[in-house]
Amino acid sequence: MSGFVERTGAAALGNLRAARDLWLLFVSTIAGLWRALVRRRRHAGPPRGEIGRQMFHIGNRSLVFVIVTLGFIGMVVTFEACLQLSRVTGDYSTVGGQMIRLVISDFGPTLTAMMLATRVGAGIAAEIGSMKVTDQVDALRMSGVLPVDYLIVPRFIASVVMTLVLTVIGTVVMFGAGGLTAWRSFAVNPSLFFDIGLVRPRHVAMLVLKAVAFGAAIPIVSGFCGLRARGSSEGVGWATTAAVVGSSFAVIALDFVISAAALWVTGGDL
Amino acid sequence: MTAYIELRGVTKAFGGAPVLRGIDLTVARGEILYVIGTSGVGKSVTIKLLVGLLRVDAGEIWFDGARIDSLSERQYAPLRKRLGMVFQSSTLFDSMTLAENVALPLRLHGGLSARAADTEARKRLAQVYMEAEADRYPAEISDGMRKRAAIARTLALEPEVVLFDEPTTGLDPVSARRIDRLIRELAGSASARGITAIVVSHDLPSILGVADRVAFLYQGRVHAVATPRILQASPDPVVRQFMSGQSNGPMETPGF
Repeated sequence: MSGFVERTGAAALGNLRAARDLWLLFVSTIAGLWRALVRRRRHAGPPRGEIGRQMFHIGNRSLVFVIVTLGFIGMVVTFEACLQLSRVTGDYSTVGGQMIRLVISDFGPTLTAMMLATRVGAGIAAEIGSMKVTDQVDALRMSGVLPVDYLIVPRFIASVVMTLVLTVIGTVVMFGAGGLTAWRSFAVNPSLFFDIGLVRPRHVAMLVLKAVAFGAAIPIVSGFCGLRARGSSEGVGWATTAAVVGSSFAVIALDFVISAAALWVTGGDL
Repeated sequence: MTAYIELRGVTKAFGGAPVLRGIDLTVARGEILYVIGTSGVGKSVTIKLLVGLLRVDAGEIWFDGARIDSLSERQYAPLRKRLGMVFQSSTLFDSMTLAENVALPLRLHGGLSARAADTEARKRLAQVYMEAEADRYPAEISDGMRKRAAIARTLALEPEVVLFDEPTTGLDPVSARRIDRLIRELAGSASARGITAIVVSHDLPSILGVADRVAFLYQGRVHAVATPRILQASPDPVVRQFMSGQSNGPMETPGF
């Protein structure tokens, strides 16, 4: 019994320490961002061209993945919605309006971020984890480089920008694919489906807020897992798995927190 | 002997498992000290503690008359200009050419412009006979060349102390002896300026050919410190077994 309590306590303490370290990494990244963008110290900050390279890796290389995935999900969700409506009322007049609200304020940013958490999160953790287990992170420290400035900050900036861009693209594709499905499968008039009159600025604000929060969370969580890699290839594998699980969980948790806060702020009129 | 670097009762454990159980060691200015011992005994841990890449659990580390084990990461930064380290793996950054790798600490620690750092980096590569490879990437050259480039990067800032972590491991005998010669030349030329070398190794030809003194770690402590010749003739059964490389003997090796 005492052994069980001891193990449970040790695990709880370990998780608390990990949460503290994750928070410290976030704070260090914001400080690094300040150094890189505001103070513009001559010799500090990310290497030249690194932010652009990371934007290409995170954004351009995820474009097809995001478009295909969100396109198919948009088709399935719209098909199911129309199918249920056909069994109840057969009135499709509000399906497009409700769909666009849902896609903009929730599905678009969340599903895009979930896709990026798997593809980008795994890549970041594997790259930084490999550098960690081969002492390259320590070599950076010996060269006078803060690893956070060099490894996390450029990925953080690139991820925030490109998650927002991909979210807008994914949202448009998801809604467009849904409209195409409604028209081809249920003969819903496109002008009726694509009526965006129900969209309000608060929905767009939700999309931006969520995309930025998710875009910030993915490189922080994945970089954290990479920096905790130990040993050899097995440690990198662990870091990669932990990054995908942790980033996906962070996206879901942030989605819940932001949605709940928005409902509270608007008094439920979202 | 005046201590330039001193470890006093240093202990370090990982996940509750003790690795160093009280290391006491002194190194004189200009000396080449080899730290030897079986795998997992804490040789690499010892030199990482010296440069603050790991932190001591207990004990003290002194360098040039100042205690350094309690410094913050920010306070360690200027110290790392004086204490260079060559890692076991080359740790060159794959996305940079050799010249860019060597120029990096010159720009960040040394405050040189990109152009000045590049010129200086090429001089440093010439010092290790690698000037012709300056524009190649680490993936395009051999292990021995990568080690030499890593040494050039470490020497770029003209450190007072260079810590080598198994510099000859994984190299063919010819490349290993070239690295030995390089350490000897660097330390020899450096001795006049007071540069010191601490080399972690279990490569006996390297130890016998290069070391001024050897510290033998065993069971988390310094078991013996002597010149290579004295250590080789030591009557201590554990030292004798290690130096002769025999599998049978009193030495306890974890995992065997």
